[in-house]
Amino acid sequence: MSRAVLAGVVAAVRRSVSQVCDPEYPEVTIAELGILEGVSSSDGGSTVRIELVPTMLGCPALDVIARDVTDAARTACAGADVSIEVTFVDDPVWTPDRIAPSAVGFLAREYSVAVRSRSATASCPICGNDALEHRSDFGPTPCRSVEWCPSCRNPIEVVGRVDMPAAMEAAPASPALA
Amino acid sequence: MTDSAPEVMDGAREMVLALADDELCIGQNLAWWIAVGPFLEEDLALTSISQDELGHARALYGLLGDDVDALAYARQPHEYRSAHLTELPCRDWGETLVRHFLYDTAETVRWAALADSSWEALGAVARRALAEERSHLRHATGLLSRLLRTEAGRSQLLPLFDQFTPMACELFELPPGCAADDLVAAGIMARPLSDQRAEWQAAVDEAVASAGYQPQWPADSAIPASASGRAGQRSAHFAALHAEMVEVLSIDPTAVW
Ligand SMILES: [Zn+2]
Repeated sequence: MSRAVLAGVVAAVRRSVSQVCDPEYPEVTIAELGILEGVSSSDGGSTVRIELVPTMLGCPALDVIARDVTDAARTACAGADVSIEVTFVDDPVWTPDRIAPSAVGFLAREYSVAVRSRSATASCPICGNDALEHRSDFGPTPCRSVEWCPSCRNPIEVVGRVDMPAAMEAAPASPALA
Repeated sequence: MTDSAPEVMDGAREMVLALADDELCIGQNLAWWIAVGPFLEEDLALTSISQDELGHARALYGLLGDDVDALAYARQPHEYRSAHLTELPCRDWGETLVRHFLYDTAETVRWAALADSSWEALGAVARRALAEERSHLRHATGLLSRLLRTEAGRSQLLPLFDQFTPMACELFELPPGCAADDLVAAGIMARPLSDQRAEWQAAVDEAVASAGYQPQWPADSAIPASASGRAGQRSAHFAALHAEMVEVLSIDPTAVW
């Protein structure tokens, strides 16, 4: 396969897998959620490698996502003589900061789900109040925690546990038993 | 992969198997609380923590081979390396809380000692898991410190420390044939297990000191190999736990995680 053809195949796979949606939020793509890390050719052009970042190591949707990504990649490179490799990588670590602003807005509007990130305080997706009160690190899925909005008096699901972005950023060399 | 000598890597793989088996057993035991937790938030918390621990087990088994299911489920009992603490059913919520505190405190120390491992893939899993561990630890210490402020909490929980701490020391033991000194020398593990255990004991001591309590710690290597989970001896609880794990697979051998 020529270099130009290979580049075309990789680009087609990238386009295709970028459109794969999350099983939990079927209108939001894995690219918008920051789960898709990269698409590249490897093994001298015989393999197209797709790297995914798991939100949590124990996320039960990982297998579904890997299967959907593999299917999308196979479809995109049909006819080309390449194999597909889908890998979950441990580095970088996923944080809610990886979610695209468009998806943050969509999740708030359509699912009443807020997103915790370093760049913005989570505000209430229902009334806009930005002084949510923490209730529990553990919500309906391992990657979601629960807050309470004192303004509109609703429990609010928030993507990300309380210290998740900070914890993932911190150098892990010293134990965190403080 | 690291460039350590093959016999050192064999030891490192034995250690990873032990850590993975700990996670598998504790994850499976915590899953028992689904829908029967003492209150809704606790039900969700134990369920999420269970999923996290099973995810850690899966990532660790993944360092040892491609067939994670075979590693997790299809070994003979004597081939598992889990510490006996992790095999306890803990059907009483107080038992679950004390075990959870002892285990997640220990895990935080263990992961931190592996975070900069010369076995790069292991280091990446450790850093990833460590980030998830903080919420577990906050959950355990938050509940424990609040309950220890009450007389009922102290009278129910403190005796469990006497019961569990000797067993919990096994979390800082390695399978036979796994030379801890070599792992430290090769940079696979940052610190000797004796250091790690001391840090863990100090953290446990501090958590219960406010309740006027001092756990009785056994001397080093209190567990004889003949009774050690690390050496392949399974506790009385393992058979039932394992039967539960493979229940679906025994109905449908092609089922996947
Ligand atoms: Zn509100």
